[in-house]
Amino acid sequence: MSRLIAAAAIRGANGVVAQASQELEAAIAAYGPDKPVAFPNTAYYLPVTLGFMGHRVERLADLRPVIKHAKELLHPVPQQRLWLPYLGETLDSGVATLLAEEAIEGIRFVRGEEPQKIQAGTDVEGADDSGLYTLNGPIDDVQLRSWGIQLVDGRMPGFAAIVGAAKSNEVAVKIVRELQQRGILVFLSGNVNGRSIIDQLLEEGVQLGYDTYTVPFGRDTISAIYALGFAMRSALTFGGMKAGQARDLLLYNKYRVFAFVLALGEVDDLKYATAAGAISYGFPTIADTLIPNILPTGVTQYEHVVSMPFDEIPGANDLERAEKLVQKCIEVRGVKVKISKVPIPVAYGSAFEGERVRREAMRIEFGGRASSCFEYLRMLDPDQVEPGKITVVGPGLDGVADGGALPLGIVVDVAGRKMQKDFEPVLERQIHHFVNGAEGVQHIGQRDITWIRISKTAVAKGFDIRHLGEIVIARMLSEFSAIVDKVQVTLYTGKAEVEKTMALAQAAYRDRNERVAGLTDESVDTYYSCTLCQSFAPNHVCIINPERVGLCGAYNWLDCKASHQINPTGPNQPVPKGMCVDPVRGEWDNVNDFVYRHSNQSVSRFTLYTMMDAPMTSCGCFECIIMLIPEANGVMVLSREDPSMSPAGMTFSTLAGLAGGGLQTPGMMGVGKYYLTSKKFIPADGGHRRIVWMSSVLKDSMREDLQTMFSSIGEPDLMDKIADETVATSVEELLAVLEERGHPALTMDPMF
Amino acid sequence: MPVTVEVPTEKWAGKVIEVKLGATKEEGGSRAGTVTVGGETTLPFLTFEGGIPNQPVVAAEVWDVEPADWSPVLLEAWGNAVKDPVVWAQQAAALGAKLIALKLRSTDPDGQNASPAEAAATVKRVLAAVDLPLLVYGPGQAEKDNDVLVAVAEASAGERLALGLCEQSNYRTIVAACLGNGHVAIGRAPIDVNMQKQLNILMSDMGLPLDRILMDPTTGGLGYGIEYTYSVMERLRFGALQGDRMTQLPLINTVGEEAWRQKEAKAAEGVPEAWGDLAKRGLSWEMLTATSMLEAGSDIVVLRHPNSIGIINGVIAKLMGR
Ligand code: SF4
Repeated sequence: MSRLIAAAAIRGANGVVAQASQELEAAIAAYGPDKPVAFPNTAYYLPVTLGFMGHRVERLADLRPVIKHAKELLHPVPQQRLWLPYLGETLDSGVATLLAEEAIEGIRFVRGEEPQKIQAGTDVEGADDSGLYTLNGPIDDVQLRSWGIQLVDGRMPGFAAIVGAAKSNEVAVKIVRELQQRGILVFLSGNVNGRSIIDQLLEEGVQLGYDTYTVPFGRDTISAIYALGFAMRSALTFGGMKAGQARDLLLYNKYRVFAFVLALGEVDDLKYATAAGAISYGFPTIADTLIPNILPTGVTQYEHVVSMPFDEIPGANDLERAEKLVQKCIEVRGVKVKISKVPIPVAYGSAFEGERVRREAMRIEFGGRASSCFEYLRMLDPDQVEPGKITVVGPGLDGVADGGALPLGIVVDVAGRKMQKDFEPVLERQIHHFVNGAEGVQHIGQRDITWIRISKTAVAKGFDIRHLGEIVIARMLSEFSAIVDKVQVTLYTGKAEVEKTMALAQAAYRDRNERVAGLTDESVDTYYSCTLCQSFAPNHVCIINPERVGLCGAYNWLDCKASHQINPTGPNQPVPKGMCVDPVRGEWDNVNDFVYRHSNQSVSRFTLYTMMDAPMTSCGCFECIIMLIPEANGVMVLSREDPSMSPAGMTFSTLAGLAGGGLQTPGMMGVGKYYLTSKKFIPADGGHRRIVWMSSVLKDSMREDLQTMFSSIGEPDLMDKIADETVATSVEELLAVLEERGHPALTMDPMF
Repeated sequence: MPVTVEVPTEKWAGKVIEVKLGATKEEGGSRAGTVTVGGETTLPFLTFEGGIPNQPVVAAEVWDVEPADWSPVLLEAWGNAVKDPVVWAQQAAALGAKLIALKLRSTDPDGQNASPAEAAATVKRVLAAVDLPLLVYGPGQAEKDNDVLVAVAEASAGERLALGLCEQSNYRTIVAACLGNGHVAIGRAPIDVNMQKQLNILMSDMGLPLDRILMDPTTGGLGYGIEYTYSVMERLRFGALQGDRMTQLPLINTVGEEAWRQKEAKAAEGVPEAWGDLAKRGLSWEMLTATSMLEAGSDIVVLRHPNSIGIINGVIAKLMGR
């Protein structure tokens, strides 16, 4: 906590509490202690006071205990030489300030001074004949409910309490428009040297009021208390909390109400004090002047106070600076703004995902045999990503003949508070689905084997290269708002540019491959679960460790980790390993617990490194089955794609019926095919040397990876020693082949 | 020789959460009494293993417009009542329904497209005419459901209505409306234990206490997937009794809607003669669907045929040993 801010806030609090105390006693002297005090059209009395103290203010005298409490919260202004913790004192002062401010507003109502009227001129809409414009005062309960529901259900992303005056009228209008555009509710109050943003907006003919989501409270800082009263009442209404549960009410606001204070112009003591009050709600303050930042987070979710001196914001002009300022506010509070409709000239939806664009119908293609095409998603610092920006570098469609091709590089930059480098590939793979959703656009492949076609019809409707960017941005934000805050897309279509950026992308792909290869079971302390398949195999749980993909092959450890971030209540949950029960067989106590609890208490143990003792259950979507062939002292691996008879005397479908349905069957296990290239392939049972038979489609499709794996364990010839359906479909045939080829399994220890 | 046989009994650790519907005058509403469902500490009707403090109840389905697509059997049985939700609800109450499930079909954007305000007024009229707790359903189209239910929730604040349907893709607004006005929310998942649990988590994460949520597991009609529903309900209830909190909510089944949707309950012509009389057949279809759901653990069955109300009440009483 900055000493300067602390000192200012404490000074501000002392001042306003003294003022409230004086005004109260004067009012009691003038109107008597029993004079009713009330905000109009609300059942929440003075709401901030009600929330903090559980105290109902109905008459002037009821304010006395409030002021008394506020005074108890005051602290002396810290001495120059004292450097320590001011956070507690500052927050106390903030609360004292809010109580005092609300008391003052209550007294003003008694005196008939609220809602404030300002001289706006007769030409201002809403002003009376003498040019007086009545400000709003506190929000009534009916409006509170209507907006409250929208804040709770997420239709309204949050609210901004603007205090002060903008650099110019133009900037004031721009700021408010930017907020309105995003559906953010705007509360206005305060002034700088007598000028308020309210004046600025009225002068520019901006309509204020409930209908336009911009509510003018008053021309002084004190009236900003209505914004905090609004927040308190919405917590009381929608949070199910009782008056006086101050801590719960504040936490509710912190986690569920995405609000922030935007201080425009010079920040005086009272503004600091009020901002300190807002911080206790978890609402950060962003100032457009130079003040000390309070970046470390704690009370608010992210930073407490952020200074962004207006003239130093990079931008071509003030309007751009205003836009960036609003963008910063949104980031600091973590307000999520979604794009509900994909803004492209063709239809969009999952119905179009499977659609193909045939050569005759095609206007242009990128990739395939015709040109090179890649897509690359990377995480950047927030400052380096300009939200929603799409840049096309290189020639457009026009110069290309019908059915022709262009090279294409799609570089997607994302930034987000919860984004992690590890999620890059997970998000990148989604580009395929996203782009495919557009009518008349076909997307195949990924990374540097991407292949995109756009149909003539789509181009005729106005679809252009930049729309690929629109799709990616809109969908990223709507699907992954949990981890992605902003996205920009650059589309390269010039040969030289594509080649240059593709080299960057390829380096990143290599890094990722290495990273995944380096990701071992030992290097993490948490595995992930997947229970997606419980819809048809009720007792099945996949435990996914870095070195084994889910048995359907669709989910690896990183996918699950990202999926959990995106959808914390979803089917992928973290499973901390816990204590190791058996390092050889791969058994951990927490894994056992987790599986027991999530398998309807039907599976109590679960090992990761053997198929002979409590192996993972099999749901039914496994890509391969591995099964013990006792006569051969090894296992066979049968692929789903292999219809032939296996040496076990059964085909895949018969075996699948035996193994599936969430059963735990020692000697038999469903796996994803990439498990075959894992170092943790049934290590406790002897690993790859146990493979005596394997469907030839597996050999063919993964030859290179398998070969590398086999060589690494010192068995470079293993591939040739392993039988397949072309040479053995019975145990007798299998044994003969193994003998003849000198398979290592024959001389290994018995498997059980 | 006398033989003593000891009946093996199961002791469960968990308990279904009790959900109270309706609010009396003292509680801020206007109902004559409230209906509480849930609270079981045993499997359906196995009273020798645990308690069933609240027996399952029958809700009668009432529409705010004459249902054009209902089986003629139903329309005939209700007669003119279907022309006015107030009369309809009163008759259903007289027949022994414990709850009224009011479907605001008039607000369907593809139909009459009545306004949320009109719908809220209808709910008030029905509340004024019968003193049973109400379940209120929107037209079944997400956006309109939200508009309508928000208006209803506000107009009838404090009545502790049950509002539906919340689904994973659309629950936030309805839950918010319940939060702000003291109502109960009904959450529906597509016959899937984990999705039902997830929906419960999502709804309660918004701050709605679990004792204000009902689970609708999606009902498959007899012959049309009833076994899936049965098995999902069974698993949810096992989970509840084993202590899994997110499955411990009372279950509600829209039996009438599913049973009367099927050909067997609707077709008079072009079906084998052995199927017999349509009126009887339709009624049986609904009753069998209802009894199966009750056996699977249903706490509220929503029925359509006037005769089903009394019959199913009787079935429940017998199963409860009363
Ligand atoms: S098989 Fe795949 S989808 Fe199914 S539970 Fe396992 S990882 Fe999840």
